Amino acid sequence: MKLPNKKGHFGEYGGRYISETLMPAVIELEEFYKKIRSDKKFIKEFNYYLKNYVGRPSPLYFAKRLSDIYKSDIYLKREDLNHTGAHKINNTIGQALLAVKMGKKRIIAETGAGQHGVATATVCALFDLECEVFMGKKDIERQKQNVFRMELLGAKVNPVESGSQTLKDAMNEALRDWITNIKTTYYMIGTVAGPHPYPLIVRDFQSVIGKEVLKQLKKLPDILIACVGGGSNAIGLFYPFLKYDKVKMYGVEAGGCGIETGMHAASISGGTPGVLHGNKTYLLQDEFGRIVNAHSIAAGLDYPGIGPEHSYFADKKRIIFDSVTDEEAVSAFQKLCRLEGIIPALESSHAIAYLEKIKKEIKGKTVVINLSGRGDKDMHTISEYLSSNTDAKLSKL
Amino acid sequence: MSKENKIDTVFNRLRTENKTAFIPFISIGDPDIETSLEIAKTLIKNGADMIELGFPFSDPMADGKVIQRSYERALKNKVSMEDAFSFVKKLKAYRDIPVILFTYYNPVFILGERFAKGAQSAGIDGILVVDLPPEESGELTKYIQGKNIYQIYLLAPTTGNERIKQVLSHAKGFVYYVSVTGVTGVRKSLPETIKSKVKEIKEISSIPVGVGFGISSKEQAKDIGKCADAVIIGSKIIQFIEDNINDKPTIIQRIAEFSSGIKSNL
Repeated sequence: MKLPNKKGHFGEYGGRYISETLMPAVIELEEFYKKIRSDKKFIKEFNYYLKNYVGRPSPLYFAKRLSDIYKSDIYLKREDLNHTGAHKINNTIGQALLAVKMGKKRIIAETGAGQHGVATATVCALFDLECEVFMGKKDIERQKQNVFRMELLGAKVNPVESGSQTLKDAMNEALRDWITNIKTTYYMIGTVAGPHPYPLIVRDFQSVIGKEVLKQLKKLPDILIACVGGGSNAIGLFYPFLKYDKVKMYGVEAGGCGIETGMHAASISGGTPGVLHGNKTYLLQDEFGRIVNAHSIAAGLDYPGIGPEHSYFADKKRIIFDSVTDEEAVSAFQKLCRLEGIIPALESSHAIAYLEKIKKEIKGKTVVINLSGRGDKDMHTISEYLSSNTDAKLSKL
Repeated sequence: MSKENKIDTVFNRLRTENKTAFIPFISIGDPDIETSLEIAKTLIKNGADMIELGFPFSDPMADGKVIQRSYERALKNKVSMEDAFSFVKKLKAYRDIPVILFTYYNPVFILGERFAKGAQSAGIDGILVVDLPPEESGELTKYIQGKNIYQIYLLAPTTGNERIKQVLSHAKGFVYYVSVTGVTGVRKSLPETIKSKVKEIKEISSIPVGVGFGISSKEQAKDIGKCADAVIIGSKIIQFIEDNINDKPTIIQRIAEFSSGIKSNL
């Protein structure tokens, strides 16, 4: 079965829940993308930039010391070594090429931690496109460095003061801008969510991650692990492996202070199906169907929804979703620093932390973890966390 | 059951009188439930032919700043769908004009069948779900089937001719033409294309056309009223609430004046 279907549905999830003003634009994008998706010239151009600009293929690194601890073969897919420091650039290169081919000159994007914003600002500089990024006011305060990076790259960063002033509100504001400037503007969504065809487009561009792993490992892994916010790095790793039934997949959500506290960002582990930002999917919401605020120490996971394809495979139990807390993520962050000399992003640290939860299961197995980004952006958050949580100060090796 | 939907009744009557319907919009619970009920009654007393009631949502993606803030004020009052239903019942007891519930899909989706039953027993005549195009309407259509509730669809300046035909094939009661490419909110000037677009719609279907988004003055209403069957005004009315938030008598007075001013020009 092909997913998504013609209407953009992944089973009961996905679809196009958007206002009429946007419908023609989304249909236009779908039709354009359908044509270009298998166009050899387009693919060649995309691959050219991935190789020469992003620096792909990213290494699949055998983490020896980590492997020794868990008595298993653990490989890290080094998306942190990409230009701009995360997997996000794979998608923005693809979508920027698409926007240029569609004749769009103005790009808008939403961003939480600022990684997608930086990746968008980067490709806009590269392809000479006007760029405006919407970012929650609270996130702007937490991620000043990324705001400055975007501005250096020539983007205009618009603070969003409505609602919770975080990623979901940035997405609302980007959608409002798109409704207003639909004729000239391309909306560059950063994750596998939003109205069809976005979940498909972003999956296509990110699945280079899994395709490379297939080539690099030269055999099938037993287990794949990736962190999940919206889910673009996870689907990027998982997608090419979905057809191999024996490959087990874990999507690690942000458990924040713990699912039971309500202070988390785990849409599948702690949410219910609903409709937001153009698609039907698992969401964090109250009994009246209002969206509640997410919480995670990792700003890039701090979103109350998840891509619809993940919701579909969660119900099917093809991908297993679980969560780790802020504390567990920080501990794994330190572990990777000391054991492998790699400072991971707080988002990716969630995937590393999951090793501890399945340590019995992974013994003797081959595990691939998507190290989706690097931790430079998180220095401030980590130092603040460690100074306010004395218990967490000593990394447990 | 062959009971006529009240939306049809009102449009049929206005058509014979050669008049345009005035449909004001307010949010349920802004500034509080009781006052918003007072405001709704005031609008009815001063010329509203139908009323559109917004159900406050946490993420109103199609709305401009004024309605966003209105929803934020209403959300503080924790308005539930049950509250909305009982609001409609009270309003209908005051005067039984057509009520259209304006909402985003998620609050409807999580209630499902219960929503449809509640809406029916409250006497809601139409439901406008701003983020639910015909392509995704299957569930809701099933729920409201046989309940004499119309789902009101939208058309936009970006909607092409083929798609207009497609949307109109689902439309009942009236079709809501979004006059501007953008979110809700007051505009100083409205695009010239409104009239030609309304004409285009009318050439395809005889269903009444309501025009909304951006309309704020008597002059604009009068002008739009020449081609449209209904004029819908929201943000301008809500601005009266925001500007006089601590002075309820003034809110009521300003809205009464504004409303009768609009109606006398239609």
